[in-house]
Amino acid sequence: MDDFMRRALVLASEALAAQEVPVGCVFTFNGNIVAESRNSVNITHNPTRHAEINCIDIILRYCKNNQINYHTYFENIVVYVTVEPCIMCAAALNNLNIKEVIYGCANDRFGGKTVLDVNTFYDKGYKLTGNVLADEAMSLLKQFYKGANPNAPESKVKKNK
Amino acid sequence: MSVSSVLFSAGTRSEMDLELEPPLKKQRTINTYLPDIDIWIDKIKSSDQNLSPVVSDEFNAPIKLGKVYVGYIKNVQDISKAVMTLNEKIPLKELQHLKRVKRQNIILCPITSLNSETIQEYIEKNVGELKDIFDYFQVLEVPFTAPRVTKQYQETKKYWPCNFHPNHYWEKLVRNSFFTDHELVIHRTYMEVVMEIVKWHSNYLQIKLSDDGLQDINASIVVDPDINSIVTIAFDHRQIHPLQHTAMIAIDNVARTQNGGVWDNNISDELMIHLKEKFAINFGVRDSNKNSKEGPYLCTGYNLYILREPCHMCSMALVHARTKRIFFCIENQEKGALKSTVKLQTISSLNHHFEVFTGFL
Ligand SMILES: [Zn+2]
Ligand SMILES: [Zn+2]
Repeated sequence: MDDFMRRALVLASEALAAQEVPVGCVFTFNGNIVAESRNSVNITHNPTRHAEINCIDIILRYCKNNQINYHTYFENIVVYVTVEPCIMCAAALNNLNIKEVIYGCANDRFGGKTVLDVNTFYDKGYKLTGNVLADEAMSLLKQFYKGANPNAPESKVKKNK
Repeated sequence: MSVSSVLFSAGTRSEMDLELEPPLKKQRTINTYLPDIDIWIDKIKSSDQNLSPVVSDEFNAPIKLGKVYVGYIKNVQDISKAVMTLNEKIPLKELQHLKRVKRQNIILCPITSLNSETIQEYIEKNVGELKDIFDYFQVLEVPFTAPRVTKQYQETKKYWPCNFHPNHYWEKLVRNSFFTDHELVIHRTYMEVVMEIVKWHSNYLQIKLSDDGLQDINASIVVDPDINSIVTIAFDHRQIHPLQHTAMIAIDNVARTQNGGVWDNNISDELMIHLKEKFAINFGVRDSNKNSKEGPYLCTGYNLYILREPCHMCSMALVHARTKRIFFCIENQEKGALKSTVKLQTISSLNHHFEVFTGFL
């Protein structure tokens, strides 16, 4: 479990180096990593390109290219992500009937459990475990927010300080 | 066996299913999908109702009442001393919205502040200097929630005077006259464009909006209200790609206008030509050199018009995108996150709050 989270943390630091919000994520299938990604919101100008969404896209492409039914594939996926999935990602993972989600630190700004418990809106809901290598994940976030989001307009940057 | 003989025969169901190709259901819908959308378009165009803002429940909630001890002050001269002493020694805390005094009656404390003692004993213990100024005590029901808007304030006045400063914007939200007639025409026209996109795709896909399993059909447009121009359009693609709900595509399309974007552009040129011919509306983004130094940032300042109330994923995506206003037409009872299951725009801890309007039909 820690190994997968360590890999997600490496991806998160890559995001930090690229001036993105440092969140990293790996998707595993039968104990093997089948997709990995990190936040890419600033480079894409698309605020939905969170690490989890990027991984979902990778799996969808893989399933399409190999004629695999993505519905059943996602049902066997266990997600490791350095920060609690936001409300958007939590809903996306629920829509796909993901098996399980393991995260590092909580997300008190957008968390899909902390701010709004998204699982309650879905019949099945996935198993959710937090606090795995949380300090490492949090310290990356702190490093990012010490500097400001370089892509936000100036007025917004000032307000956040 | 011909189609018509199946339709009118008393044959068993399995026989029908086996022999009909394409299935019976599809045959029926081809003739009925168009009128449905046209009725909606007519309604959207002809309605004279103002659009309704989807606001926090606290603006519409009935006033909550609770019980307090009230003392009747014998001599008028003692009132100001009593107010000062009580405010200092037994402050009203979460009942700050209540005026302390009504003529010679003064609020002492909620009845829950007392344990087993009488109110006279409670006064002697906490504000001994006031123990002799009261003629009698009574328990009264007073408003326990602060009035947010005038409608609620009128209600609270029946029980006890409250402090109230009307907030101009909140009043406008609950009055049901948010938009001027001129603005309404603009909003309704944009929703008509959304309908036209749905209609164009239904024609193309030969599907009916109300068919079971096709409830997911959705379309949206992003508008820059400052220059009255459609920035992008998006049609739901979730049958092929489970993330590609219309709002998610719309956000990616906007990113493409800012030299970003991830997904392939799936806007049909044919549809764009059709829309430009049908509606006298501008398309495209503002000239960023002229109007602003920075150019548009995500969906800041943009409005989204969408057929169905967006789900949790899409609603939160629209928060991330900092969309200014969301206009939707049809409620999504099971998965809608702006009205039906939750009102995401009223969660105060989120860092962006858009306005939401509905009531087109
Ligand atoms: Zn997310
Ligand atoms: Zn959606």
